[in-house]
Amino acid sequence: MSSYIDAVLSIFPKGGGLQVERKKLFALSVAVLAILALVGIGSGLYALYAGHEHTLGTSRGVPWGILIATYVFFVVTSTGLCIVSSIGHVFGFEDFAPIAKRAVFLSIVTIVSGFLVIAFEIENTWRMPIALVLGFNLTSNIWWMGTLYGLYMVFMIIEFIMLQLDKHQLATACGLAGLLTGIAAHSNLGAVFGLIGGREFWHGPYMPVYFIASAAMSGCVAILFFTYLTYRFNGWTIGDKLKASLQSVAKLAALMMAVVLFFVTWKMIAGVTGEIPGEYESMAYLLHGPYTVNFWIGEITLGLVLPFLLILSVKAASLRVIFIASIAGMIGIFFMRYDLVVVGQLVPPFAGMGLVDYPEMFSYRPSCLEWLTTMGGFAFCGLFFLLGEKYFRGHMSEGH
Amino acid sequence: MDIGKLQRLPSEDLSAITSRERRKFLRLGLTITGLYLGGTVLSLVSARRAEAAGGPVPATGQYPYNPHYTMVLREARCVDCERCKEACKTTNHVPDYGYRTTILERRRDLAEGTYETIFMPVLCNHCNRPPCVRVCPTTATWKDKKTGIVMMKPSRCIGCKTCMTACPYNARYFQEEKRAIDKCDFCWQARLSKGETTTACAAACPADVRIFGNLADPKSRVYQLLHTPDTIVWVLRPEVGALPNVFYTNA
Amino acid sequence: MKIINIISLAIVALLCAGVVLAAEEKQGAAQPYDENTYGPAAPIIWEKPVKAVVFSHKTHTMGAGLGCDSCHGGLFEQESGAAEKKPDFTMDKIYKGGYCGACHDGQTAFAAKTRCAACHIGARGLKRLRQAESDRTAPAASH
Repeated sequence: MSSYIDAVLSIFPKGGGLQVERKKLFALSVAVLAILALVGIGSGLYALYAGHEHTLGTSRGVPWGILIATYVFFVVTSTGLCIVSSIGHVFGFEDFAPIAKRAVFLSIVTIVSGFLVIAFEIENTWRMPIALVLGFNLTSNIWWMGTLYGLYMVFMIIEFIMLQLDKHQLATACGLAGLLTGIAAHSNLGAVFGLIGGREFWHGPYMPVYFIASAAMSGCVAILFFTYLTYRFNGWTIGDKLKASLQSVAKLAALMMAVVLFFVTWKMIAGVTGEIPGEYESMAYLLHGPYTVNFWIGEITLGLVLPFLLILSVKAASLRVIFIASIAGMIGIFFMRYDLVVVGQLVPPFAGMGLVDYPEMFSYRPSCLEWLTTMGGFAFCGLFFLLGEKYFRGHMSEGH
Repeated sequence: MDIGKLQRLPSEDLSAITSRERRKFLRLGLTITGLYLGGTVLSLVSARRAEAAGGPVPATGQYPYNPHYTMVLREARCVDCERCKEACKTTNHVPDYGYRTTILERRRDLAEGTYETIFMPVLCNHCNRPPCVRVCPTTATWKDKKTGIVMMKPSRCIGCKTCMTACPYNARYFQEEKRAIDKCDFCWQARLSKGETTTACAAACPADVRIFGNLADPKSRVYQLLHTPDTIVWVLRPEVGALPNVFYTNA
Repeated sequence: MKIINIISLAIVALLCAGVVLAAEEKQGAAQPYDENTYGPAAPIIWEKPVKAVVFSHKTHTMGAGLGCDSCHGGLFEQESGAAEKKPDFTMDKIYKGGYCGACHDGQTAFAAKTRCAACHIGARGLKRLRQAESDRTAPAASH
């Protein structure tokens, strides 16, 4: 028994690396995040117990809400972190090595946070382990996504453990396996939306491809955000190697923003050209309807244009500006996920048939419990991020 | 050369070729080039266009199930008394917040400046190519191999609601009491499996709007209704390609 | 000389037409609906045997020019809800010339077998009417 405990303990570094200096601030943050996470988990459990019909803002017309959007946000970030970490760890680009360990750890934290949130969205979570095995359906993208993300998480955890044990060959192998399953899983998540023929806004090969592009962007933004945050928060100084690394990541982030902007631009143009029914109504809702602020301020300005211009304007030199860009990017990406999930469902199935007392568009607004559960997911993510910094000693960045 | 005689000879230009001969020639060409294989292996016409040309009703003998359960809605006769809805509610224990079938209302402007109201009953279309079945990660919903009914196994449902987003007809809802998706099963559980021959809604309809039956049986009313001359048969949202088994007509 | 005649004739004709049209329009707009002449203004709603059928006195009296005794002389009693209580108040009876079927035979008025939703407003129509009614009677409640 004690040998098992020793084995588990052996992944924690005994010394070296960085230490949490501001112990009070750290303890306070951990306490606040833990409370928020517990409140969120409590809200999620209560909603499950009482039934979503009576507790969530979702409906027959709009069955997926902010919890699915949050899940997509977390897994897109996780996949992105995995991609960013693999550039250094798997493909051997030295510039990306200093951020890789933290990226691997955070990819695990974000995928677990995602699973936590979706556990409260799926109304019978407890049936999942057995039902997914007994009733496996190979034509279902949800099945593939669930299975592949499960595998992905295992690979990432093994990779992380191997990194802690300094078994780099095994870590690289697992990193590659994680990357491949992650990409497969994430494109399947895109296909969950993209292969639904009755929802024109989602339908087509765009979603799976776009999901991968935006994952790479999300991963860059997330690692910039979390790395800078932990160094400022803990009062650590960023060394030259890490600084150079973050600058490289920032450049990649800017490139990916340009790529995603390209995707979004053509989605927009395709959505309005010819006013194809279903697609057009959704796009009009984003461009000049109730979701205008979400789209132009959230998605385009915060998510893409502002961070792109910020990084460009300082030529990726100032870490502080990069950090601000990454905050804007993270918020913008959340809007992208939210809009993608929600607006895709707003066109009623019989819209445009001239029906009386039938909505031309559905509406959705998250309930209080949904907000609390979402907040809980983010708090959970933040909590484990902080704990990771403490117990893995700043992910041994400087000594590594 | 006797011009008069020549003029009396049958013309040899294209106008004299009958369409039967033309088709025969085309078929010959397509057979030689390997494109004509009964239209199944490599069809020159997409399924969607074929449906648009021939209407949504499959050709006789092309019904994959037996009994191939079908509902035909004689739309113009519906007066929205909603006895069907009530019968469905009590028969299948549908809660107040949900429905398995409902009536929608359409308006059509008339020449005289007024409008006419058309009531449109909707329910699960028990599609031949059901999008909900494809997306279900746990096969909690499936297309019954014998009857073609899209079934639900509540104990297998994890409540991910992907089938709700995939259904082009909004025919599914999550029933909290069962903790599973609930939907129309053509009354399989409540009636058909117990020997009844029709659904609760069809039995309750006073206006003979809802006709339920076996499309594979040429003597059935549904078959007769869908194969009446000079009538139009339509389905809802044919463009999604789900091939529904709920048909609308005014015959 | 001739041209002037034609022009003045045309002007007179136009003026006459204008006066007639205006008078007609005024008559249509201003003529009050007299419940004593034309029957109750509120629509009659039958909920049995099926939900729900609407009958408008205005359409039939003022619109179609029928008098009270056209219907209230054997077809329908004047007391409201009387027809609903009768077991033969059915489509079958109507098809055979009873109740509405006396006129709605395809000759006098459109046949009862056609245009179902012209009179059948259904559960949806009933709900909408009730909603409008409660909005009218309690407008303060919404504020």
